[in-house]
Amino acid sequence: MTAVTDSTARRPGIVWLMWRRTGFAPLLLLVLLVLNVVLNPVRFAPGNWGTLIGLAAPLIGAALASTPAILGGRGGIDVSVGPLMGFVNAIVVKVMITELGMSSPFVIVPAALLIGAAVGAVNGFLAAYVRIQPIVATLGTYLVLVGVTLTILPSPMGSVPAWLKLFSGSLSIVPLAAIFLIWWGIRRLPYYDHLMATGSDDRAAYTAGVDVPLVRFLSYVVTGVFAGIAGLMLTALIGSADGNIAPTYTLIAISAVALGGVSLAGGRGGLLGAAIGAICIFLIQSVLTLFNVSTFVLQIAYGAILVIAICLTAIQDRIEKRARQR
Amino acid sequence: MRVHLNSTGARVAGAILIAVLLFLAGSALIEGYSSAFSIRAMLVLACLLAVACVGQTLTIIIGGIDLSIPFVIGFANVVAAQLYGDGMNFVLVCAIVGVLALGIGALNGAISAGLNLHPLIVTLGIGTIVQGAVLVWTRGFPSGSAPEAVTKFVSIGGSVGPIPVPWLIPAFIALSVVIIVVLNRTPYGRRLFALGSNPRAAALALINPLRMWIVTFALSAFFAAVAGVLLLGFTGSAYGDVGQPYLFQTIAAVVIGGTALVGGRGSFLGTVAGAVVLTQINTLLIGLGLQPSLVQAALGLVIIVLVSLYGREAHVRATI
Repeated sequence: MTAVTDSTARRPGIVWLMWRRTGFAPLLLLVLLVLNVVLNPVRFAPGNWGTLIGLAAPLIGAALASTPAILGGRGGIDVSVGPLMGFVNAIVVKVMITELGMSSPFVIVPAALLIGAAVGAVNGFLAAYVRIQPIVATLGTYLVLVGVTLTILPSPMGSVPAWLKLFSGSLSIVPLAAIFLIWWGIRRLPYYDHLMATGSDDRAAYTAGVDVPLVRFLSYVVTGVFAGIAGLMLTALIGSADGNIAPTYTLIAISAVALGGVSLAGGRGGLLGAAIGAICIFLIQSVLTLFNVSTFVLQIAYGAILVIAICLTAIQDRIEKRARQR
Repeated sequence: MRVHLNSTGARVAGAILIAVLLFLAGSALIEGYSSAFSIRAMLVLACLLAVACVGQTLTIIIGGIDLSIPFVIGFANVVAAQLYGDGMNFVLVCAIVGVLALGIGALNGAISAGLNLHPLIVTLGIGTIVQGAVLVWTRGFPSGSAPEAVTKFVSIGGSVGPIPVPWLIPAFIALSVVIIVVLNRTPYGRRLFALGSNPRAAALALINPLRMWIVTFALSAFFAAVAGVLLLGFTGSAYGDVGQPYLFQTIAAVVIGGTALVGGRGSFLGTVAGAVVLTQINTLLIGLGLQPSLVQAALGLVIIVLVSLYGREAHVRATI
């Protein structure tokens, strides 16, 4: 998409492309990383990076999961990502491992993916074919999922098999890499272009023959599958079933996506930006905890950094637009 | 017929019809559902929700959304109680809370429209800051109390002369009339709908989008603050998270009331009907003996079913 604009001038460098795709977030990431390493060398010692990645993984997963539905445009959003992670967590630990005694990865992983895909399909059906505004449709599934999760899991319980526990540390790279691999595959399909075209201008895409409802439906299915994987990462991290943690991921994930330069209006951005946004949020939380400020101050700073960062992204967009017009 | 079904009027009529049907169903299924006390309680709860929904209706009509409402409700709730508890005159307290809320809302609108950012993320960020600031100020333990007058104003047992409803009800009806007149009969209302349905055309009609967004989001925060103060009277003590259920409930009420989230279409009458519907569903499900978690799940299902009945959007082919 960027190639069209610079056919006349020099080839864009990798830095420029990165800047275009993810905006201001990589710079923030760099600053935060340096700040964290300088201020807290022990926690950020190379040996600890595995643990840190493990801690950040569910948030990164949630942000990655939120992205495809948002890329579809026209208010496309999935607020049920967090509760879906919790639902997967509850089903896997409470129903499959504790009650049915199934602990083989060859059962649990496909089951998590299937649950994710199924809930995503319901969301997609409601948003794309029944044509309920996405935030309302997924709010409906949000409430249903939270309600059902708390019904089958009134209080935290259970434990996870050793193989799943393995993925709570540096190995949590593996599920994240799996998500990126799936996305890499999707980007090689015509579907990806259809999704971005639909997100930028669904009417133009429709007149060009794109099956807009189907494209949007599939974006929710992809979001669901990714949320299923993120649910497994959360399960690995907390090592038990807990119905109250996951729903809080929804809004943070959407913040991370916005921070990562993904346009909430659709059609712009990608998984890399979302991941960088999520890591930024994790690092913000980390650096603020370090200052030993109360959680209340942490909350102010968190909100302020979010607002300032998205403002800077918007300002960067304007400067870029002006530069292009010149 | 198709045109009629899609018009805002029909959607509002649909919401009102469902409110009536729910009432009949409740009366048939649950003993005491249609008793005077139960009706009064539901009216008061629906009114509180509807006050919080005023801003959501306005911001959604303009084509935005306001996620800071629950945070502003909590802010007003805690700050009003704290200042009143410190012995400040309550009129002054209300003025301070109102002005601060207007400022918060204006900031929401200014950032969203000025930088062309999605209000969903802006209001979420600003809301988080507001909540954090309140927590820092009270150190997490809000104190203070509600003045007698406010408690009486919203009390379920209150009465207006011979009529056994608290003053909240007639005051809310008056407010609704004002809002409906403002939306339908004033330049502000026309600009609001014009901006919501087509921002580019509105700009050509010399509507200043920045000013409209600032005013609208300021109003939204103001009414959220009003709801926060009323809730203080209702519960009697301050609680920072008192607004949290209103995050999604305001959106649900507005959408059930037939206002389109894409902007440009909607009515406050519909929102009021939506608030009544939501309050009734809640009462009905709890009355049927469901667990709170199942009530939540059922509420989600009901929202989906209701909106799919009459809140559907146009197919993309119909928008070309």
